[in-house]
Amino acid sequence: MATQPLGIRLEALSAVFRHERRGDVTAVDKLDLDIRPGELLTLLGASGCGKTTTLRMIAGFQPPSSGRIRFGEQDVTDLPANRRDIGFVFQNYALFPHLSVFENVAYGLRVKGIGHDEIVRRVGEGLEQVGLSGFGERMITELSGGQQQRVALARAIAIRPRVLLFDEPLSNLDAKLRVQMRGEIARLQRELAITTVYVTHDQEEAMAISHRIAIMSEGRIAQIGTAEDLYQRPVSAFVAGFLGGANLVDCTVREVGAGSAVLDVDGLRWSLETPATLSRGQRVRAVVRPEALELARDGDGLACQIESMVYLGARAEYLIRSGERCFQVVVSNPVSNRLFQSGEAVVLRLPGRNVALLAQH
Amino acid sequence: MLALWALMLLFIIYPLGALLLRTVFEDGSFSAAPLLAAVQNPNNLRALRNSLVLALMVGFAGTLVGLVFAFTVERAGLGRRAAKLIDLATFLPLISPPFTTSIAFVFSFGPRGLITYDLLGIGNAKVYGFTSTFAAETFTYFPIAYLALRPMIASIGTSLEEAAFSLGGSRWHIFRTVTLPLILPGLANAFLLLFGCSLADFATPLILSGSDFPVLPTEAYLQITGLFDLKSGAILSLLLLAPAGVVYYAQERLVAGRSYVTVTGKAAASGKLDSVSHAARFGLIALCLFVTVAILYFYALLFCASIVMAFGANHTLTLAHYHVIFTEGLPAIRQTLIIALIGMPLGGLYGIVVGYLVGRTRFTGRRAMELISMLNYALPGTIVGIAYLLAFNDKPFALTGTALIIVACYVFRYSPTGIRTTIALLQQIDRSMEEASTSLGANRFTTFRRVMLPLILPAFFAGLGVVFIRSMTAISATIFLVSIDWTLITVKILENMTEVALGPAAAFSVFVIVVVLAVSGLLNGALRYLTAPNLRVSKIGT
Repeated sequence: MATQPLGIRLEALSAVFRHERRGDVTAVDKLDLDIRPGELLTLLGASGCGKTTTLRMIAGFQPPSSGRIRFGEQDVTDLPANRRDIGFVFQNYALFPHLSVFENVAYGLRVKGIGHDEIVRRVGEGLEQVGLSGFGERMITELSGGQQQRVALARAIAIRPRVLLFDEPLSNLDAKLRVQMRGEIARLQRELAITTVYVTHDQEEAMAISHRIAIMSEGRIAQIGTAEDLYQRPVSAFVAGFLGGANLVDCTVREVGAGSAVLDVDGLRWSLETPATLSRGQRVRAVVRPEALELARDGDGLACQIESMVYLGARAEYLIRSGERCFQVVVSNPVSNRLFQSGEAVVLRLPGRNVALLAQH
Repeated sequence: MLALWALMLLFIIYPLGALLLRTVFEDGSFSAAPLLAAVQNPNNLRALRNSLVLALMVGFAGTLVGLVFAFTVERAGLGRRAAKLIDLATFLPLISPPFTTSIAFVFSFGPRGLITYDLLGIGNAKVYGFTSTFAAETFTYFPIAYLALRPMIASIGTSLEEAAFSLGGSRWHIFRTVTLPLILPGLANAFLLLFGCSLADFATPLILSGSDFPVLPTEAYLQITGLFDLKSGAILSLLLLAPAGVVYYAQERLVAGRSYVTVTGKAAASGKLDSVSHAARFGLIALCLFVTVAILYFYALLFCASIVMAFGANHTLTLAHYHVIFTEGLPAIRQTLIIALIGMPLGGLYGIVVGYLVGRTRFTGRRAMELISMLNYALPGTIVGIAYLLAFNDKPFALTGTALIIVACYVFRYSPTGIRTTIALLQQIDRSMEEASTSLGANRFTTFRRVMLPLILPAFFAGLGVVFIRSMTAISATIFLVSIDWTLITVKILENMTEVALGPAAAFSVFVIVVVLAVSGLLNGALRYLTAPNLRVSKIGT
């Protein structure tokens, strides 16, 4: 690809819908976002968080109520969708049922008035890239869901767009195919280096394919960063709970050292390495991932009781209780450790590092 | 868009306005007196009462027969051949000229009728009156109920009945408590459709009801053509307006309240005979076959009558009647075909344009456009015909006697099928289809031409078909609009009937049926060809 990838910039972007009964509903609320050239950025969030509306505004299907959208230096806010030079992959594929696979992929090229030989070449190339060489003559209805999604992908990249947009493209596929397709989308995106915005509600999918993830909530971005950033260093209880399981442990700072601290959990001393700046007596909320906790028969730690255990082969998931506090604990390779049954008394060992601390109000 | 509004104003609103004004204005001043007088006239009241009674009876009977047919075809496990036969018997009445059943009734049950005279030996059977009008209309219109109910029963899915069966209900109990309540909205809709058809039917009562059983459409016609009393005719036709309006409103409400049948989704693989017992199955099939055979017998009779000298008296084979229609009748045939062939593309185009505007775009007056576009279709033909007669008789739009007025009448009266089909199709086409095209760089026009148009092509062809079929077979409105220069086959049939030239009437009818079947076949073929996968280019690609 000869052209340099573009960055996308959203400036105070808002979308307000007029609702008959509920009055004005703000779907996207003064959103600022910088998407780097060539990166795959995922908008991740529950339904109704504004991620799809944001994507549709970038595509030009939905005019923003206020704010600007820039592709590189160009302000595209008032540019209609057909002149933005985008490739859009729809949740329902939106393939043209009256056209063959070949004609679907060729559609955008024909619209651009590209010559016949070039069209044949580029459609062939596109179909090859998605592993559908030889399927050109088929009708759309003769394809499986996964194949249809590949055609949709080929159709979007055939026009060599400046920006590639995905709207929950895998949600209609079964679990196994989903894993396979997301791998191919990630590979193709890295190969073509087209700036890509990807919308999904599936956190695993987001973590698997993205350079960066923006977690959205109520029309705003709750946190943006790499998958590791978000998982290891969530800035809020919402982000911590949204991405993976999280135990939120309220405690008090007892001692402060250089790069470390001692916290008090129900009278138990918890020594912790942490870069956070803390003061004595401060109330904090620790985000402890379930797989960071350890269970033991005895020794130092918090005395607990097993409430329930779910054995899943590769791991076991426990729910344990200590007084008012409940913890989720995930133990991998559980058989070689030891399975605890519900009702058993255990000791919970808190991790000495990799714990995010949130200030408590 | 502006041109479209202008056309609708001219050919829908203006004639109706002219009709209303004519009935309430006396010498330039407002007066409800003629209208009140008409309402109090016992003769008119009798015609109104007769019309309503007839429509009610036909509505009930036709819905019942339609339900039996729909249920039998969907649930009784018919053989392929029997199903084909039923398809034919329910299709023929829909595409026949209006007098077909009436002619067959006269041949069968008249004074020299095949059944009454030859079979039962009754000398002077009385065929004219309520009973035969009712029976003929039921035979003519029940396929409409059948077509409305069949997809509904199919969509309920046997799994629902199986579920009820597994809970221990008897088959009859299940039909009463599960199937029937689910199709109740459909039954109501079918009843209203038939009620409207019967109320507006002009041809059948004209031939069969005789003087004992006058109904409104025929009375209005006789006032105008017999007594040249345009105003009384107009007022009589207006009496039809109230019940027709009620029916239209009720139907709109029904459609708006969308039944819950579609929710149950796709029908499971059927073919099991679980939903009816053996005895019931036997009864249903027997009933269907009886009606089917009766219809096919009517058409066979019609064909026979067209190739013998004088049916009932002289059964020598002859082509004389066909000779007559292709010599004396040739102008009518030519003119009808010209009108139908002009109206067909115009109606098809009008249908998808209005359908697309109403179904897919947003503009002020969208809802008004939808309602107005349905008006001429919802109103009985007699009203529309008289309205056109009044509106286009004088300047500024003196169109009486031209082909244009007949074409316009057909286009605006029969395109709503195309409009409705287009809207229904558009509802199934997700908006992302257009967005996909846009995202690939296509502008609005290209998107419409390359994506939307091919997808709504079936609606276009449905529109073409209906406008053509109706142009060949309708009479109730256009009988007021024909002239010496431009006449129609259906009017010729009526003339033949009144002159007791039944042979040519039968020959004309057979001719119309053959032409309509041929054109329907051609349209279907063309549609199939056009929507077939376009493989020419893609072959090069792989």
